Amino acid sequence: MKFLHYILRNARRNPLRSVLTVASVSVCLFLMMILISFLSINDEVNDSVRIFNRIVTMSSQGFGQPVPIVRVSEIAALDGVIATTPFSWYGGKYNEEVMPFAQFGVDPKTIFTIYDELHLPADQLKAFQEDMTGCVIGKKLAGDRGLKVGDRLPLKDGAYPVNLDLTIRGIYDGPANRDLRMCMFNWGYLDESLKRDFGGRGSGNAGIVVIKCRNAEIMASLSKQIDKEYANSDTPTRTQTEEQFGKMFAEMIGDVRSFIGNVGLAVVFSLVCVAGNAMAMSMRERTTEVAVLKAIGFGKPLLLFFVLAEAVLVAGLGGVVGALGSKLFFDAFDVARYSAGFLPFFYVPWSTAILGLALSLAIGFLSGVVPAFRAAQLPVVTGLRKVV
Amino acid sequence: MKKGAKSMPNKLAIVLRGVSKEYRRDEIRIPVLFDLDLEVEEGEYLALMGPSGSGKTTLLNLIAGLDHPTAGEVCVRGQDITQLSDSELTRWRGNHIGFVFQLYNLIPVLTALENVELPLLLTSLSRQRRKENVRTALRIVGLEGREDHYPRQLSGGQEQRVAIARAFVTDPYLLVADEPTGDLDRSSAGEILELLVQLNREFQKTIVMVTHDPLAAQRASRILRLDKGQLVGDIAQSQLGAIL
Repeated sequence: MKFLHYILRNARRNPLRSVLTVASVSVCLFLMMILISFLSINDEVNDSVRIFNRIVTMSSQGFGQPVPIVRVSEIAALDGVIATTPFSWYGGKYNEEVMPFAQFGVDPKTIFTIYDELHLPADQLKAFQEDMTGCVIGKKLAGDRGLKVGDRLPLKDGAYPVNLDLTIRGIYDGPANRDLRMCMFNWGYLDESLKRDFGGRGSGNAGIVVIKCRNAEIMASLSKQIDKEYANSDTPTRTQTEEQFGKMFAEMIGDVRSFIGNVGLAVVFSLVCVAGNAMAMSMRERTTEVAVLKAIGFGKPLLLFFVLAEAVLVAGLGGVVGALGSKLFFDAFDVARYSAGFLPFFYVPWSTAILGLALSLAIGFLSGVVPAFRAAQLPVVTGLRKVV
Repeated sequence: MKKGAKSMPNKLAIVLRGVSKEYRRDEIRIPVLFDLDLEVEEGEYLALMGPSGSGKTTLLNLIAGLDHPTAGEVCVRGQDITQLSDSELTRWRGNHIGFVFQLYNLIPVLTALENVELPLLLTSLSRQRRKENVRTALRIVGLEGREDHYPRQLSGGQEQRVAIARAFVTDPYLLVADEPTGDLDRSSAGEILELLVQLNREFQKTIVMVTHDPLAAQRASRILRLDKGQLVGDIAQSQLGAIL
């Protein structure tokens, strides 16, 4: 601790250089936190749904292929199943905005039993269940657009060739890491519209089926049972936990994941070079001082410590601003509302922010290694030669 | 600091026997000192004079344990420091040697007080005790009230005073000064030389000083002349008059 003030003074010795180093580390880490968070949010959300005992049945050909609606009631009748719902992606325009938020046809009677972490007032749930053209929207979507119960919500030009003229019957709320910008409407309304306006083509399909199980222990056996049941049908299924279903999406962007990883490594490398160069310059200017310190009794370990501590301090400050700053920034500022539906929510998980901070410390350490060893190895006489 | 402590008469502070030093630049050997013998008594104030390139600073570096001789032994207070490893030598310097450089070499980001405190950070003294010792040292060099000034806020003479305070604040056995007045005007140089005399007489510090300046050398108790890496004899104070 008695050397702390010396280290702090050295870090502030050339304020412009220190500020620029801190700025380069913090800006790069800020951007890196955004990239990493895209992946880590996905992982965190997938991990968090484990406790809800949900499994998802989709077509064995992929979720682009529909599952017959009859499967919803058939699966619901199986032992260990609490409730089931179809989950049909609509993806239509709202006014002239293309897919500004996620839209799903669901079963109003079971959806909030299955997604019991989402909360809808009882009177609004009743209204939703009783109105074929009713829908519920997330609290954030309502807030973004000033929508309220009773407002019309027309959707058009979606995945199905019918338009939906919906009325908001409820506004649901839930944890921060759930999609609170979703619109869920009665699947029956979509199906009736297809039958009425499109000759029934495309009707009778559930999209995927989401199943609430009695407990976690039966999820694996239930999944196997469902897939075995339909293995020899025209529409074989693939059933997996909700967590696995989410990870399947993550795997679809596997190349992006490795791309982001490589970009991250490149950023870390370039930051080590930038911070290392700044540190090396700083130490070159202090050659005589280092020699004086050695002359008056400061040993190699202490000099190593001084230089490494200074490098870690400067880069770490960049980490605090960049990594922790991004965490606080995205907690305070909801960027998802400006993402035109691309992001239902966005935040920097604590694990990612701490990773960023640890990275900045590692960058500082690595950037200080070479200058530190040079300083420690500097012969006193060589260092003093400039002045004696 | 032991003010006025009496040293044992004729006790040797520094003994050099057969000391040679050569530097290597690639394959080229550059001899600097040749088979040099020297004895300095405790409490002595020795000035080393000689032309540029005569080996004065090299000799000072060897005495202060900043460099190793190519041959011979260097004993300070009875210890052959050529046998010490680099880390042992660093520790030894911290405990026994005080340095005064021509360009003061203060740390610009530290105040006068913090600069003087620097060598004390290597000791186990408490913070309060360190501050007390530093204030005492600054008072001796006449810089009371300048504790919080940074080097850039001090004159050259004041900076050198801080450097001298830093050199003796640990109460070292030996003070080495390399051209301590080389960068100062005549008036400031006189004050610094007076301070060194005070440290030698009142605190019995053994001092070895390298200088080109006959006026500076005049304050020493003995003056040695080096030429082409060899000691060519004492210069009597009376001879300095001719040089001056």
